[in-house]
Amino acid sequence: MTDFLEVRNLTMRFGGLTAVDSLSFKVEHGSIHGLIGPNGAGKTTTFNMISGFYTPTEGQILLRGEDISGLKMHEVARRGVVRTFQHSTLFAELTVLENALVGTHMPFRPNIFAAIIGWDKEDRRGAEARAREALDFFGLLHLAEERAGDLSHGHQRALGMAVAYASHPDVILLDEPFTGMNPEETKHMMGLMRRLKEDGITILLVEHDMQAIMGLCDTITCMSFGKFLAEGGPTEIRNHPAVIEAYLGGARHVA
Amino acid sequence: MVELLAQTGLNAVYAASYISLVAVGLVLIFGVMGVVNFAHGELFMAGAYAVVALYADMHVPFFVAVAIGMAFVGLLGLLMEWALFRPLKDNPLGGLVASIGFLMILQSLAVMGFGVRMEHIPPVTQEVVRFTDKVGLPVARLYVIVAAVVFLTALWYFLKRTRFGWALRASAQDPEAAALQGISITQTARIAMFIGAALAGVAGALTAPLVSVNPHMGHSVIVTAFIVIIVGGVGSLEGAILASVAYAFVHTFVTTFWDGVLADIVGLSLMLIVLIVKPTGLFGSADRA
Amino acid sequence: MRNLLIFVLGSVALIALPYGLSFSQQEILVFLVINILLVTSYRLMTLTGEWSLGHVVIMGVGAYASALYTKELGIYVPVSMILGGVTAALLAVLLSFPLFRMKGFYFLIGSFAAGEIIRLIWKRFREPFGGVRGISGIDPMPDFSIGIYQFDFFEPVSYYYFAGVIVIASLWVLWRIEKSPVGLTFHAVHWQDKLAQASGVNLRAYRTLAFAIASGFAGLAGALQAHYVGTVNPNSFDIEVMVFVLTWAIVGGTATFYGPILGCIVLTVLNEIVLREMGLEQARPLIYGAIMILSILFLPDGLESLVQKVTRRRSAPKPEEKAAT
Repeated sequence: MTDFLEVRNLTMRFGGLTAVDSLSFKVEHGSIHGLIGPNGAGKTTTFNMISGFYTPTEGQILLRGEDISGLKMHEVARRGVVRTFQHSTLFAELTVLENALVGTHMPFRPNIFAAIIGWDKEDRRGAEARAREALDFFGLLHLAEERAGDLSHGHQRALGMAVAYASHPDVILLDEPFTGMNPEETKHMMGLMRRLKEDGITILLVEHDMQAIMGLCDTITCMSFGKFLAEGGPTEIRNHPAVIEAYLGGARHVA
Repeated sequence: MVELLAQTGLNAVYAASYISLVAVGLVLIFGVMGVVNFAHGELFMAGAYAVVALYADMHVPFFVAVAIGMAFVGLLGLLMEWALFRPLKDNPLGGLVASIGFLMILQSLAVMGFGVRMEHIPPVTQEVVRFTDKVGLPVARLYVIVAAVVFLTALWYFLKRTRFGWALRASAQDPEAAALQGISITQTARIAMFIGAALAGVAGALTAPLVSVNPHMGHSVIVTAFIVIIVGGVGSLEGAILASVAYAFVHTFVTTFWDGVLADIVGLSLMLIVLIVKPTGLFGSADRA
Repeated sequence: MRNLLIFVLGSVALIALPYGLSFSQQEILVFLVINILLVTSYRLMTLTGEWSLGHVVIMGVGAYASALYTKELGIYVPVSMILGGVTAALLAVLLSFPLFRMKGFYFLIGSFAAGEIIRLIWKRFREPFGGVRGISGIDPMPDFSIGIYQFDFFEPVSYYYFAGVIVIASLWVLWRIEKSPVGLTFHAVHWQDKLAQASGVNLRAYRTLAFAIASGFAGLAGALQAHYVGTVNPNSFDIEVMVFVLTWAIVGGTATFYGPILGCIVLTVLNEIVLREMGLEQARPLIYGAIMILSILFLPDGLESLVQKVTRRRSAPKPEEKAAT
């Protein structure tokens, strides 16, 4: 397989603090790739750099060979890399369907003149069909007319992913998708992710809890204190001495 | 030329004095309550009319009139806190609109009580402190400068050295944490509002004999105060004072050497540039906005 | 069918409206119609979450531009009105570069400063803006006839019809925009700009778009006013007028399309007609201010929340009826 998404010598400094230090790894097309590490390892910073939320201090992010580092979030999104947010970041005042419709912004780019005259009927129909498809995929279609802010926590997380999915992404970046979910919801969510993978979507997810994603990821990159630590399949990572040390050491520090 | 520069400098110091009295009050209110008091210019106007009524019409001694005016405007501030800002404390835009409503009421009361024409007050003193033949500072202006120095020093002492001041600063920085520490938000809001209003009132009262008092005089005052608090950084008292001085000098010099409208354009442009370059103001780290 | 009936009745009512009014009330009606466009365009701007204090000055830009186009270039009045709106929109695009570096409170103050600078430029430069006195003797709208009705623009009734048609057409366009995917994107930018951006929305572009559209229609409203009054000057677009626009929007409520319109109509009728009739000329600002305070204290969601309560109560017992209409 080709180098689909590659992070090369990525570095981020906040003032004197180096949050991410010359990190490199590759994500293969069509895989589920986990980025793990103890608290403060720089996972979320890395994630924010890939999605365009931060501009890296040094290094490159290559998507199909094109350097996308330093692009704005919407420019990264338009190249097919769409992120979700930690917590339940949604358009709480809008309905579930409207949330998903915002997700179709890229495939069905609104045109103001067509909208005034009424020549965008097909686009609107297409956008709504896609939005409903995305909701259906995440089992939210029956809630389409509800206010997003009124949904249960689990449904809000699912809607966050549906919004991302509605835009036909090549890569979905998931920021701690299992936080606050009970085991049943987690299991259900993992099933959905596998189906996304079958659709040909590449998933890069950031997770603090190592156990949660062991059964899900094809490849796992582990980082610690901003640096690359280890990479490999789940079994490999689980038994990697440096990873065990990082997690236990981290736990000891926390305790 | 040197004399003209010196005289303009003195004028600028006078302008800086009353501007900073108004701006510091505005910052204090914004800091503690998070609300933009659009009626602040009308509080200044109310102070001026207090002097018109007491000193010019009823012949009360000038400084007694000023003191009563200051207390009266402070009470107006308490009224605003009680009637408007406390009920609307979770609705900043509502607080702004309510203060605009209050502004209209005060203006209207001034028109009904005193008429729309400008009031000219008999001068308190004609004395001038002469430095040279051409450079002098009218004593009436000196009063304003002295008042600014005294009241701002007192405020500084109050904020840094007393328990109330500590509570005030704490609730300006983080109202929730302050509440957890047992600081009464209502109490601090009342104090801030009283002080903020009273400072605007005393500025208006002292400048009343020097300007033409009219019901719409608050407008230019509030515009100036906005410029100053933006340049100084919303929420920073020291910034507001420094910005008052800077603005007063720029404005006075441009007015003297070119014209007043151009001075206004320059002042507003400076503010816009500061907003563009550093949206939190030159001295500010405003996290309330 | 029901909609058609409402449409016909509404049109008849709007056409008949000026005949029950005195001359001065007819003049107020013309301004009311223009102000409805002004406040509705303002609301479009607030959809993206930014509140401007420069909207009335932008309206003035349209007024000045249209006045100058007819005076200096001899452009036919209706064309220059549209060009006035276009000028205001283009200026908004220019202003968006400095202003959209700011958000929230800072944008509010920044837009105020930008507006004041424009006003001071009008004051300072007598060529071509006429200084403090502004421009007078602006060409009126030329009279014309549409067969059944002879437009005579010295009559406020004629101008009411003319402005009314333009305003209704503009409101229709604004309504279409809001109900379109573009409008949805404006809402998205307001409620969660980060998530909108992650969905590929160019925030700057959409904020600028809303600002430009709102400014364009405000400019058109200004042009309508300029060619009716015949003069423009810097003080007719000062912060006090902006305060009125702000209070119409807030007292009416900005959650719905009709909220600001409702606020504009109710407060104008109250201020210009009821209080004037009661002979409370001097106390007008006082009562107006008190009403503003009371409505913000006791009706924080605006007049529209009252309407919503009434309509909801009516439709609540029969939800299936609501679905059918």
